[in-house]
Amino acid sequence: MASDKPQTGGSLLFNVLQQHGVQHVFGYPGGAIMPIYDALYDSDVNHYLCRHEQGAAFSAVGYARASGDVGVCLATSGPGATNLITGLADALADSIPVVAITGQVPTSAMGSDAFQEIDIFGLSLACTKHSFQVTDINDLEKVLHKAFAIALEGRQGPVLVDIPKDIQLAQVPTDSEHFSPLKNKVKLPPADVVAAKALLTAAKQPILYVGGGVGMANAVDELREFARATGLPSVSTLKGLGALDPNCDNYLGMLGMHGTKASNLAVQECDLLVVVGARFDDRVTGKLDEFAPNAKVIHFDIDTAEINKRRNADAAILGDLKINLPDLAAELTIGDWQAKCQQMKADCAWDYNHPGDTIFAPAVLNEISNKMPENTCVTTDVGQHQMWAAQHMAFNDPSNFLTSGGMGTMGFGLPAAIGAQISRPHDCVIAVTGDGSFMMNVQELSTIKRFQVPVKIVLIDNAKLGMVRQWQDLFFDGRLSETDLSDNPDFIMLATAFDIKAKQITKKSEVTAAIEEMLDHNGPYLLQLKIDALDNVWPLVPPNTANDKMMEST
Amino acid sequence: MNHYQLTIKADDKQVVLERILQVTRYRGFLISGIEAKVNTGTNIGTIVLFVRSERSITLLVDQINKLIDIKEVHVDKSETA
Repeated sequence: MASDKPQTGGSLLFNVLQQHGVQHVFGYPGGAIMPIYDALYDSDVNHYLCRHEQGAAFSAVGYARASGDVGVCLATSGPGATNLITGLADALADSIPVVAITGQVPTSAMGSDAFQEIDIFGLSLACTKHSFQVTDINDLEKVLHKAFAIALEGRQGPVLVDIPKDIQLAQVPTDSEHFSPLKNKVKLPPADVVAAKALLTAAKQPILYVGGGVGMANAVDELREFARATGLPSVSTLKGLGALDPNCDNYLGMLGMHGTKASNLAVQECDLLVVVGARFDDRVTGKLDEFAPNAKVIHFDIDTAEINKRRNADAAILGDLKINLPDLAAELTIGDWQAKCQQMKADCAWDYNHPGDTIFAPAVLNEISNKMPENTCVTTDVGQHQMWAAQHMAFNDPSNFLTSGGMGTMGFGLPAAIGAQISRPHDCVIAVTGDGSFMMNVQELSTIKRFQVPVKIVLIDNAKLGMVRQWQDLFFDGRLSETDLSDNPDFIMLATAFDIKAKQITKKSEVTAAIEEMLDHNGPYLLQLKIDALDNVWPLVPPNTANDKMMEST
Repeated sequence: MNHYQLTIKADDKQVVLERILQVTRYRGFLISGIEAKVNTGTNIGTIVLFVRSERSITLLVDQINKLIDIKEVHVDKSETA
């Protein structure tokens, strides 16, 4: 709808968003952001009304991760702003470029404990890469451009811009300042390429350890060429899944707490770790002192602060992976080590034979993985289903597997899938969730209904908080404290209430037909799989234990 | 316990001091003292921070350096008690 209104702070916001190529935003209106929503009314930017600000933040994260673009979310002051925080913390932990816009009470009321006033600027310090509060209309345009630049530069992350209501309403000066891109302030030390090459060529048993930084650097092709040229046996973190070719003989799978046996054994035995965009997370290393105890380390990263943070690097290569990875490529003579790793992989292959007619979630997820269309994007929530998806599904790009890695946020999967589907309308998007996680942002079914987002939901239902229950059984003497969810709602009735087609299956014999029906369905679909409440995720490295001391059953 | 003295130069921007203090605490350093002033001509602030920790000071320097408004960080003194 055309408008003759003078440009205000609110309308300037949408002009800047469009300058940065933003077509879609996620949000929820409220009192202190009404001028921005009024400007939205005249804007060409598509707004997706979520049903909770946390849902909006996660949809922005899903959008960013699936597309590689900045995700944008909007919320009002006070509770609207605080509801964004979990999503921003998630984006910070996983280095996701998000710009969050919050309304604020007018500058004259700030600091007076006004209605729906909270110091979101102060709260943002620990959960954003950077944040701004705009108190002068003359600064707004520059700040908004800076927010996008900061979200994307170097190690990506979330940026919050808090805009008081009077600034949203203020008329924008005509001689607005043009933005010049930021320069990277941190001067990177020279790369240890010579030292790294010496380490690599001297190694007898090297391993390539790949993390989420590869996808963030858009360096999947360079990584795969490096892996091919060197022939390094390789492992991936949870967030790195998809970066390496899952069909490569030298790829051993995920490492860490629920990693494959072959990955963890090979890493423990290796004499060199070539670490690419990974950060020795505690879920990866197990007992840090005993992680890869005989290995020297070559560490590639964009973030200086990750070098020597948890494990010292013998050679550090800082900067853009796309440029730096090819510099280290070399032909290696490691045939015996490759053969040994491939044998371990064969010896430790997953076994999908499962007695009885009860549905076996790993087999179902593997079947979905084999049947889903090429370039399907899978999101997960957090818990057992997340680890089963990571173990038993295969991804050909990091942007096709969206999971809350660093923060481990239940409630991530459904809104992230909505964001992913909106960014990639022609690709299939599947949200793998559990009955605990699903209920954390279940209100987003309404967003699916409103916009007819054709997300497929695979709900793995054990009527438990399964991962916590598993740990209670293993490490807390079976004292099952507050993990029973047997009073869950009727999920089929719930989905139907939002006009989402839904089906429950309880037997193995129903699985194949149900998967095919779900994938063939044009609109949103919920497939509920009832599984045995006592199924566990294996292998499991117990906390503070070396990765080669994994448990494989009770 | 290691004792360190840092000198930090920063643009005089909103909450820059709060950001430095938050990062210092979160990364495991206790603050023994602080001196801060702003050059109103250049709008550059100078913060001298006295901290103590069992951890290596490079862990804190690298994290402070990542803050957007920071221009430079120097370790002036380092003592092991």
